[in-house]
Amino acid sequence: MPKKENEEIKIGVYTCYCGGNISDVVNCEGVAEKLAKFPNVVVSRTNMAMCSDVGQSMIEEDIKEKGINRVVIGACAPSLHEQTFRGTVTRAGLNPYLYYHVGLREQDSWVHKSNCEGASIKAVRLMATGLAKARLLDPLAPIQLTAEKHALVIGGGIAGLKSALDIAQRGLRVTLIEKSPFLGGRAAQLDTLFPTSENAQETVHELIEKVVSHPNIVVYTQSQVQNVTGYVGDYQVQVSQDSRGVDDTNAEEIMAACQQTVPDDFNYGLTERKVVYRAYPGCFPHTPAVDWENYDGKPVTVNGEEITLENKPVLIPLHVGAIVVATGFDPYQPREGEYGFGEIPEVVTLPALIRYIAMLGTGEDLVWNGHPVRDIAMVHCVGSREIEGVHEPQADGEVNNYCSRVCCTATLHMVNTLKEHFPDLNIYDLYEDIRTYGRGHEEYYQEALENMVRFLRFHGDDRPTVKKAEAGDTHPVLIEMRDHLTRGEEIEIPVDLVVLAVGIMPRDIDDLVKMLKISRGNDRFLAEVHPKLRPVETAVPGIILSGTAQGPMTVQESCAAAAAAAAKVSVLLSAGQVELEPFVAQIDLEKCTGTGDCVTVCGYEDAIAVKEIDYNGVKVKRAVVTPANCTGCGCCVSACPNEAIQVQGWTIPQYDAMLDAIAFDFSELMEVVE
Amino acid sequence: MRKIQVDALVVGGGIAGMQTALDLADQGYQVALVEKEPSIGGKMIALSKVFPTLDCCSCITTPKMSAVAHHSNIQLLTYHEVQAIDKTGSTYTAEVIKKPRYIIEDDCTGCRQCEYACPITLPNPFDLDYGATKAVRVPFSTAVPQYAVLDIENCILCGKCEKACPVNCIDFTQQPETIAIEASAVVLATGFETTSRLAKKEYGAAENLNVINAMFMERLLAPTGPYGRVIRPGDGKEPDSIAYIQCAGSRDATLGVEYCSRVCCMYAIKQAMLIAGSLPLADITIYYMDIRTFGKGYEQFYQNAKAMGIQFVKGKVASIKEDENQNPVLRVELIDEGSQIVERTHDLAVLSVGMLPHYDPEAVFKVSLGDDGFVNIPHTNAFPCLTEQEGIFVAGTSAGPMDIVDSIVMSGSAAAEAAAYIEGVKETPSPEEKSEDVYA
Repeated sequence: MPKKENEEIKIGVYTCYCGGNISDVVNCEGVAEKLAKFPNVVVSRTNMAMCSDVGQSMIEEDIKEKGINRVVIGACAPSLHEQTFRGTVTRAGLNPYLYYHVGLREQDSWVHKSNCEGASIKAVRLMATGLAKARLLDPLAPIQLTAEKHALVIGGGIAGLKSALDIAQRGLRVTLIEKSPFLGGRAAQLDTLFPTSENAQETVHELIEKVVSHPNIVVYTQSQVQNVTGYVGDYQVQVSQDSRGVDDTNAEEIMAACQQTVPDDFNYGLTERKVVYRAYPGCFPHTPAVDWENYDGKPVTVNGEEITLENKPVLIPLHVGAIVVATGFDPYQPREGEYGFGEIPEVVTLPALIRYIAMLGTGEDLVWNGHPVRDIAMVHCVGSREIEGVHEPQADGEVNNYCSRVCCTATLHMVNTLKEHFPDLNIYDLYEDIRTYGRGHEEYYQEALENMVRFLRFHGDDRPTVKKAEAGDTHPVLIEMRDHLTRGEEIEIPVDLVVLAVGIMPRDIDDLVKMLKISRGNDRFLAEVHPKLRPVETAVPGIILSGTAQGPMTVQESCAAAAAAAAKVSVLLSAGQVELEPFVAQIDLEKCTGTGDCVTVCGYEDAIAVKEIDYNGVKVKRAVVTPANCTGCGCCVSACPNEAIQVQGWTIPQYDAMLDAIAFDFSELMEVVE
Repeated sequence: MRKIQVDALVVGGGIAGMQTALDLADQGYQVALVEKEPSIGGKMIALSKVFPTLDCCSCITTPKMSAVAHHSNIQLLTYHEVQAIDKTGSTYTAEVIKKPRYIIEDDCTGCRQCEYACPITLPNPFDLDYGATKAVRVPFSTAVPQYAVLDIENCILCGKCEKACPVNCIDFTQQPETIAIEASAVVLATGFETTSRLAKKEYGAAENLNVINAMFMERLLAPTGPYGRVIRPGDGKEPDSIAYIQCAGSRDATLGVEYCSRVCCMYAIKQAMLIAGSLPLADITIYYMDIRTFGKGYEQFYQNAKAMGIQFVKGKVASIKEDENQNPVLRVELIDEGSQIVERTHDLAVLSVGMLPHYDPEAVFKVSLGDDGFVNIPHTNAFPCLTEQEGIFVAGTSAGPMDIVDSIVMSGSAAAEAAAYIEGVKETPSPEEKSEDVYA
């Protein structure tokens, strides 16, 4: 977009208080006063919050009434409100790229809290660079791209199912892929759900039925993403799908004939299953599948005939506009010996006990490792709320310093279920803080208290120890702890079973994270852009988060997050068009000689290439940019021997001007700023 | 009667209502947002900074307010209230009353000349009645829309505002108007209220001004607050020792509120951190039953507060008395120190009050309430926003206590569910349309 001929540059410069975030350190009024004296500055103003409607209206009025044609705002980080202010200047009739945002909060006030004077001077310098750039800003137009009205949802657990359904109901096409052979994920492994006590599998199945019967949704099980290219609106995804190994005509016979068994991961190893299997009765799809990871390759004999099961993976190419990551979580797996886990058979995790209770027939006694369970202890915060330097780190060297959110209520839900089935059971609950925060959760705590569950409280840096009882003791396990509800007494609790309320762990999805170029937070869960402004979006446009891939959540919270993800997908794709930033490489065809140095250094696929083009009626070799694939990184700019490339919106002359401005000696101007 | 036809009616202009409206409007749906107060922004706009990022609250709220006001798919109706709702076929028709501002909105520029001229000084509800305001005023500096509103109850009809107004927009004769809004889906985002600081008699807040509620501390900490700094209201002294009383209104059967309000642990820790910034020498103690920092990044926030020197003491405060210097004296069992019962004197006691249901939608919207008084959600796990009335959804704290992050996610969820429902309604012709087809 060309600049208007002979346009007189009129800059409006605005210094935001940021509700005190900036003004507590920076003398905003003093800064604004200085800025007013810079060349081309027509107005220099401040406001408590430039982003408020009042602040925005002020800018709009200046544009309309004072003929401001360049806007510089010193405020928070551009990641927070650059879009907001682009909207403001657009409403006033100015091209949105004629505004420049200076980060006075992250780059100044927040890092110089103890030096107000220095911070104020720095603010003037930073703003001066903004003014220097603003004088050279050109109007730009965003890159318009057609968006594929089709979303890929990765993960067939409750979050993936919910996202898929809500996107499809909005009229968009959905492909749902699931790594395992069956849908339902972790939620299907639960018995009943809090706070409603509804049957978990029934709730999951209700969603699955809606998903599989929806005309807009295609489901692939045993499928994983192999490769991703493209950008928002236009992602090319390669999905690899394993064979099911059996089909409806022979599945039952092969499953019956199969002899090889492995620990059943659905029941957390409490039972064995065959390698040709169904996850559980009533699972979807109902057709069994071969567990290729564990299958020993030996033929199965059916009616005297030897059948060797074969996996012939197929590649499925998909063209989608957005990708929803609903890859879920893994329960924390305690280390060998952690609270006696793996060493003492009477130590079990809560998810495993949930499976055990779900499988227990009515009227059956609670028996563990051959003896009846009379006394049972629940231990909270296993693999959660760990303290660096106190607790042993995980395999990746990190400690799980976060709260897993669901374990307190899940534990108390279990405690009350146990009391209902086995009223004589004596239950100890060892906790640090009881976090029954959700709607209807506190009731489980109340009920447990009424059930005479004995609560004992430990401190996070002094957790209970679990050891095998001495021969001849009344109980197989002995817990030692200091109870801070009874004056910090050292106590010993002999029990028949110890249940570890294990936390929620981020999944090992490194390959996917790399393919999608998304990032993880300090807790290793997938990171959102901002918890309040963009809570389900990643920094990569078109990649949306759904459910526990983002952090610990209950089933209800997962479904809410999944629906919110669906809303974002709908916002992105329902118009059939997406816009990308115009900050991409631009070739000066006059200077370019087609050396190809730019192509060599470019780190992105199909972003720049040397092509034969028609230039002034002559066929010449020139660099050609595909704007949608260019990230504007600038590598090509530095590599070009002819200085023929500029990144739009971040040109070399703009940088030069900014450098000159930040290094400029304007000490005379500074005097009054304190 | 003026009639507005939209796809969705959102009731409530707090953070949940605004987010729901934006998430629907961004998808291309026509939305009417009805707010009973003169400005949108809800409770959130009154806060100082927000956890766990410590962003200035205005930086999150005001751009959303502005986006709602300027969105081409949103019709914003502030100072309006839904009186009744009726469903014919698949269309909800809401009878909405427009309350008189006694100013002509189309002409008002928000210049506040009327406010400066008004001789009546009243306690400012935006500052929980601590600061002062006028009988005619722009509700607060970042209000959207920027219209003055005249409090006719307290107005003495002196006419000074009328004379001061440069655009002649004061109109004492305005009457309420009724309009109709037709929508396929309705989203309730009617919010919450906080426990009164007087609710728990044992805490003696009725007698002692230095027992405040946490919402007021938000105002003290906010840059737009009534005093611009943290002082105790009893005598204006800068407090050296501040106590937080957790669960002052939640998990308390004596108040009939047995649930956890979810946000109080985090806001107390946040406020403690902010006070530590503005009063670096002050001692801050948080008396708690359980610390419930369950959200993403919240546990680390708690650990940071501990590392900053904020004291956490396990024990439910039994009562608060007052000494001769108006200092609150807390009686508390120190569970981690041998369960001894002690009396501790602080300069200021902050009640971490809980969240209560605010507006009862039962009569108008025919949705039932749970035992806790919040809107009932029958299939809360798989359909977390759907009320028992088909086409009526709920978002944010009208469905129970939750923090801003969870409210925003739930609002996105409500927008998705409502969008799916609206699409379903579009596909299935309503019974009348069907019958028309038959006789056409």
